[in-house]
Amino acid sequence: MRAISLSPEELERYDRQIGPGVLSVDGQERLKNASVLITRVGGMGGPAALNLTMAGVGRVIIAHGGKMISPDLNRQVLGSESVLGKPRAPDFGEYLRTMNRFVEVEVIGHEPDDADAAALAARCDLIISCPPTFEERLRLNRAAVQAGIPFIDAAQWGITGTLIVVKPGETACLKCLYPEPPPFEEFFPVIGAISSATGSLAALEAIKILSGSGKPLWGQMLTYDGYQGNVAKVKLSRRESCACCAGV
Amino acid sequence: MKIQIVYTGRSYQIAERLPSEIDLSDGAKLDDALHAVNQLLSDDEQLPPSCLISVAGSHVGTLASHEDQSLKDGDELVLIAPVAGG
Repeated sequence: MRAISLSPEELERYDRQIGPGVLSVDGQERLKNASVLITRVGGMGGPAALNLTMAGVGRVIIAHGGKMISPDLNRQVLGSESVLGKPRAPDFGEYLRTMNRFVEVEVIGHEPDDADAAALAARCDLIISCPPTFEERLRLNRAAVQAGIPFIDAAQWGITGTLIVVKPGETACLKCLYPEPPPFEEFFPVIGAISSATGSLAALEAIKILSGSGKPLWGQMLTYDGYQGNVAKVKLSRRESCACCAGV
Repeated sequence: MKIQIVYTGRSYQIAERLPSEIDLSDGAKLDDALHAVNQLLSDDEQLPPSCLISVAGSHVGTLASHEDQSLKDGDELVLIAPVAGG
């Protein structure tokens, strides 16, 4: 019989998520042995990182530059008023560590450039992308495709959120959808509840993929339009001429 | 034939005043449907070129880059203007 790498304390911590319809013990161990990069960790990436930490992903790597400003606090669940005016990533990391001592939290205080993204992808099992620009999203997508690891893109605007789940070499990647980056909108409107919902769904997809439980949304875009109360699920098509994943 | 239209993503607000179904002549194709939708939009409501298009649950490209294709009665056309807030 194979030894279980989870300690009795860990098995107690994860008791409610191990069993029929959730995770197997093997699945929980796979989470423990996994590393996930989440960038950035604001409205969506924050809840994603929090959920992965609570779920027991072994190493949670967060990347986010800049200082916390007041308008961020309508959605950044890892922050508080005590972080206003300070670099947010170190505080966010500390908060995550208080949530689960069995998880290693690594903090990067800036957004990864091309070289950073490639190096991080090489030592991760999955990337969750939550930045506000398509340039950053496409950079992370490229790093994930080159490393051959799953990529989850979460995005939001107003009261709507979207999720895309990429399996490199098998499904469409983000570049297949957007050969040219759509325009950047710095001061987009958003309600924090849609950020949390979208980030949590991204974490759920990551947990399913890493643990081997359930059916991931491979190659699909899930759109939740909270304004209309509509959910749409779209099967994404690979672009034969994709500059990122053609030939992968 | 009748085509169901879903406006979502960045442009969800325009759905409030637009019909969720359009009538097209038999044999109409995707570009006919997109033209009909475009006629319903004011200048400041125009969908972006990067708007994703899905027909009957499958992504077929963007407004700027897609192949025209046949539609059938009851098809759902989903228009997803990209969102990227973080």
